[in-house]
Amino acid sequence: MADLSVELCGVKLKNPVIAASGTFGFGREFDELYDIGVLGGVSTKGLTPRPRQGNPVPRIAEARGVILNAVGLQNPGVEHFIENDLAWLKGKGTAVIANVAGSTLEEYAGICARLDGLADIVELNISCPNVKRGGMAFGIRPESVREVTAAAKAALKSTPLMVKLSPNVESIAANAAAAEEGGADAVSLVNTFTGMAIDVERRRPVLANNTGGVSGAGIRPIAVRMVFEAAQAVHIPVVGMGGITCAEDAVEFLLAGAAAVQVGTANFTDPMACPKIIEGLGRWCDAHGVRKVSELTGALRLN
Amino acid sequence: MKDYRAVVQANREIAEGIFELTLSLPEEVKVRAGQFAEISAGGAHLLRRPFAVCKAEGKEITVCFQRRGEGTRLLASTGAGERLNVLLPLGNGFYLREEEKKIALVGGGVGIFPMISVLREYAEKKEISAYIGFRSASAVCGLEELNRASRLVAVTDDGSYGEKMNAVQAFEGDLRRGLRPDVALACGPLPMLRALKGVLEREKIPGFVSLEERMGCGIGACLVCVCNLTNGEHARVCRDGPVFAVGDVEL
Ligand SMILES: Cc1cc2nc3c(=O)[nH]c(=O)nc-3n(C[C@H](O)[C@H](O)[C@H](O)COP(=O)(O)O)c2cc1C
Ligand code: FES
Repeated sequence: MADLSVELCGVKLKNPVIAASGTFGFGREFDELYDIGVLGGVSTKGLTPRPRQGNPVPRIAEARGVILNAVGLQNPGVEHFIENDLAWLKGKGTAVIANVAGSTLEEYAGICARLDGLADIVELNISCPNVKRGGMAFGIRPESVREVTAAAKAALKSTPLMVKLSPNVESIAANAAAAEEGGADAVSLVNTFTGMAIDVERRRPVLANNTGGVSGAGIRPIAVRMVFEAAQAVHIPVVGMGGITCAEDAVEFLLAGAAAVQVGTANFTDPMACPKIIEGLGRWCDAHGVRKVSELTGALRLN
Repeated sequence: MKDYRAVVQANREIAEGIFELTLSLPEEVKVRAGQFAEISAGGAHLLRRPFAVCKAEGKEITVCFQRRGEGTRLLASTGAGERLNVLLPLGNGFYLREEEKKIALVGGGVGIFPMISVLREYAEKKEISAYIGFRSASAVCGLEELNRASRLVAVTDDGSYGEKMNAVQAFEGDLRRGLRPDVALACGPLPMLRALKGVLEREKIPGFVSLEERMGCGIGACLVCVCNLTNGEHARVCRDGPVFAVGDVEL
């Protein structure tokens, strides 16, 4: 049986499969279906300094091969997570990746400081609007990617920082490099693509928020290309995601340069998707004579 | 809850565009009235669809649905012997207390199917009056099951079957005749639930409604399916519901 373990910025993962933020809560519900300790890691629902109610419903829409969501970062706040879920999740024996968001540099720094030494990795969601800069997302321009990464990094003394890149940008390579310059220990991508679905009968957007984030099987080729470009641009590990539904999809991201992968929307279409992908990865490696899954990272041969 | 690979036993159109799908599971599953299942129709490329479980008997479960969008179109075309993934049982379901003896069920549209599950669980133990609204005669179905009620009032929007009125008006008619339940359970379109809420508040009758909302995970993890509670909080329809006390939710 192939060795599925990987190392991600100093943290050892049982395998390269991480449940993606926002699709998995804090793991409790999925743990009723299977022991989430089998996962390489769990990225929590996006945490903010204070509880957030999120957007009105409908918060989800579907189009061919993809979904759109506009949950609006509903979460109970970082203190509630630390008090009620963190110890339980750590006890499961999977890497705890605290996904965090903020609306100012100070909020990002504050929430990172709060989680320093508690989470195994902090994942910075920078696809949020910067309220002090006219609402443009932190993750759009390389300069602000560098700035928010540096602010977060300064607040983290012992916990590694992974910056989750937005794909709604001019150059993913430039933004990945900016995160590295800002001090990121890893980058993850992709977050969702901004999209819109319209109910033609009602002549209205399906989502109450009008626009939402596109994810799921249909975005995979774009995500793979972006992971490839990001991996070329940095020396830190890259965590790839976007539309992974099976082991072969995960291998695709690894070959493109990812050290680990995250699985999001597939948890909805198949609640057993993550354990199936882990099992499938083992079988794939065995069938292809791959002894360590980490050998696959960046093993792509270009034409 | 558990994810099962189920085999389609039967799939038939029981009224215009309404299908009854019977699935056989690898083991017996205890499903309470009002609980639901998430059924996969399109593999990894389509979200699962939530459906109330009308019947659960031994290893067999039955759900009924209206052919509307892509998911239900695919499901409508599945035939005996095909395999589908089914996650169940989900949600809290309807629960009746010992002292609640006289029950009113108010169901409209596809909301009649959770009412059937209540009848199957409680018809022998309670005195149940069912007020069921269909669009028209062509949509009438499930009468055999609905007739488990001590009293069944079936009506249509256009008067082509039973009286021309909706389920809430049928319920109000009985209230005027002095037939007062200890509790009312309901499922149906939002305007129907809103009208019912008005009646129940006026008459001071406790009630529970089963809500529908678009879902992602179906198990409480993604916060896609929330509804507004009257206390200002959000609740997850899939996990905290789908059944809520009528006074607790904003409709
Ligand atoms: C319902 C939903 C909620 C999400 N919430 C978050 C979030 O809170 N923070 C975040 O960084 N990403 C969030 N995401 C993005 C996912 O983590 C992931 O980046 C994206 O969905 C692409 O992967 P996938 O195609 O496998 O879903 C969310 C995605 C979905 C579908
Ligand atoms: S559908 Fe995910 S929380 Fe209800």
